[in-house]
Amino acid sequence: MIILETRGLTYSYPDGTLAVQDLNLKIEKGKKVAFVGKNGSGKSTLFLLLNGTLKPKKGEVLFHAQPFKYSSKALRKIRKSIGIIFQNSEDQIFAPTVYQDVAFGPTNLDLPKEKVQALADRALEQVGLSHLKNKPPHHLSGGQKKRVAIAGVMAMEPEVIILDEPLANLDPVGADEIMDLLNEFNHFGSTLIISTHDVDLAYRWADYVYLMSNSKLIGKGTPEEVFRDMELLKEGNLRQPSTLEIYHEIARRGLARGKTLPKTIPELVNTLKPPELMWAELPPGTQEGDSLNLGVLYGDYAQNSPYEAINGRVLHLYPEGKAIVEISRKGFKAGCILIYDTNHYSHSEVLKVINEGEIDFVGAMGKRSKTLAEADGIYLDVSSGVIDRSLLTALCGKRCLILTGGGMVEHALQRIRDYVEKSGIELNVGTVNRNGKGLCWLEGFEKAVEVNQKISL
Amino acid sequence: MTNLLDDYALSSPLRYQNNWLKLAIVAFGLFAGVSSTSFPPLFFMSFCMAFATVYLGKTPPKLYLKLLLAPLGFAGIGALVLVFFMGSGQELYSFSLLGYPLNIRADGLALALLVLARAVNGMCCLYFLALTTPMIELFAVLKASRLPDSLIELSMLIYRYIFVFLDTALSIKYAQTVRLGYGNFKKSFNSFTMLASTLFIRSWEQGERLFVAMDSRCYYGKMPVFETKRPVKAPEILLTSIYFLITLALVHFKEITTIV
Repeated sequence: MIILETRGLTYSYPDGTLAVQDLNLKIEKGKKVAFVGKNGSGKSTLFLLLNGTLKPKKGEVLFHAQPFKYSSKALRKIRKSIGIIFQNSEDQIFAPTVYQDVAFGPTNLDLPKEKVQALADRALEQVGLSHLKNKPPHHLSGGQKKRVAIAGVMAMEPEVIILDEPLANLDPVGADEIMDLLNEFNHFGSTLIISTHDVDLAYRWADYVYLMSNSKLIGKGTPEEVFRDMELLKEGNLRQPSTLEIYHEIARRGLARGKTLPKTIPELVNTLKPPELMWAELPPGTQEGDSLNLGVLYGDYAQNSPYEAINGRVLHLYPEGKAIVEISRKGFKAGCILIYDTNHYSHSEVLKVINEGEIDFVGAMGKRSKTLAEADGIYLDVSSGVIDRSLLTALCGKRCLILTGGGMVEHALQRIRDYVEKSGIELNVGTVNRNGKGLCWLEGFEKAVEVNQKISL
Repeated sequence: MTNLLDDYALSSPLRYQNNWLKLAIVAFGLFAGVSSTSFPPLFFMSFCMAFATVYLGKTPPKLYLKLLLAPLGFAGIGALVLVFFMGSGQELYSFSLLGYPLNIRADGLALALLVLARAVNGMCCLYFLALTTPMIELFAVLKASRLPDSLIELSMLIYRYIFVFLDTALSIKYAQTVRLGYGNFKKSFNSFTMLASTLFIRSWEQGERLFVAMDSRCYYGKMPVFETKRPVKAPEILLTSIYFLITLALVHFKEITTIV
């Protein structure tokens, strides 16, 4: 479903400079969209057009297939549904306290006082700033100010959130936290639009990318499509994302192969499969190109995980049943990732899972889970980019526990299963404490390992 | 980063007491101080206020003394003038300066000391308010006292942007200093004019951005006010009433003695 659309959108500043020329966009509901372009390519102006602050010279903007009307009543409706977060938080935070700033939007929507308070409190909790609600903004750090700005917009419960350079001037962990927060919102149904000149961010985060240059749209498509096109990137004064560049370089040296382009570091690692060639004796009747099951390695022979299946593809047949075979290792039961739902949190249970499940690595996703873990003194190995790091750790045969709550559980499960499907490496994934089943899943996991051991022996 | 009075007030534990109670204490102190004609109630009130600010409000004592000294200088000069030029009673001491006779009279001295004591009392009362009640708490009080909304909203915005522009001004000043903009008087003068004009343009631009920001969050004339319920507790009422009663008694006692 298309939520936001522009047709032939053109805007020029009063002095005649064209800021946006003939833009045709179609933004789908629930997607993560990134506008990428160098400084001054017209992204910020476009965003002001998208929430009705600027009125286009030509063309129109459509929200839910209805063209924008520029009466003040209609604009209020649009701005309630399309929230915008500016690059500089100082511009956005204008109330004397954090709470007042977050409550500003709902107050102006004429909601009753209790409702305003509930909305503001919830938004502050979502961004993890409830404890700072009576502080003046000038006592906050840059990352905290950004989160206040986000909470101020979230309090109006918009359908679309537009963020202009959301990660500008933030430290890496602060930036990861903001991105986690945005992913959380997206998971619960918000459509996100960001502008950035960070190609790495756009490549790994976005579902759809628009490339802008000199006030024009020069490219659009999925990140893989857009960032593969070197000519396009050159035209936009951009470079390739690092992940992609590394992949291309190692692929050229024959050290990596993959069907799809890797987006994240686990995916990149997964493409690292140097082909190994060996002589093998073949059963009669094998053809070139056939696949063979050559057995299972474990112990010192298995490099990445406790057990590795060795498969071979016949490259060239020789007489007397011998052949050159390209072998590939496929680890199975590499490690496991457990997901603990913090909506049913109990401190002792988490400790039990960590001890009895021999967990090597604990991560928390979502502000609430992080706060819970920190309050109870659970050591978190990682608190940003949790899924990626857990995958990498699990690939090394370790056991990971992810603490997260609510709908984020499904989101994490889905991401890990997607990875399993794409990579063909089977990881154990599961939730620990869903449906009040307690730890039965863990027991099931132990059994599964035993069965596998028997098979391989 | 600079430390303003407001920053101390924000971290003061007395911040979380009822604002109206604090205002009442301060207002009482000011009125009683002005209407008192003897020293004991003035000393008593100054001491109580200073104690409350430093001990209960956890203001650093050094800072408090420094703060008191600044206006005390002015009050001292004023008192000195009174000593020499007021009064008509008994002469205590006289001398001549460059052939001009100067006399210190008993009632002039008494008046000067009373004015000084009143000034100290007034300052102690106002510092109690300034160091324990941050601006953000006072906005709710302003709102409740039925001042026009637009005035309160304006003051809230001004309050917020004071800090933004203070930061801007400091960073401009720093940028000028590291490029030797304040080397001598002429350069300082030049740099300062530049700073002032840049700040003016910046604030103009900031105003435009503020308008867009408020507009995109559906502004149509409403600013929420930060209100928290801070009930007055029994010990506070008790302590305040004891303070009021002792002060009144001291003021009254003096009146009785003068009548007698």
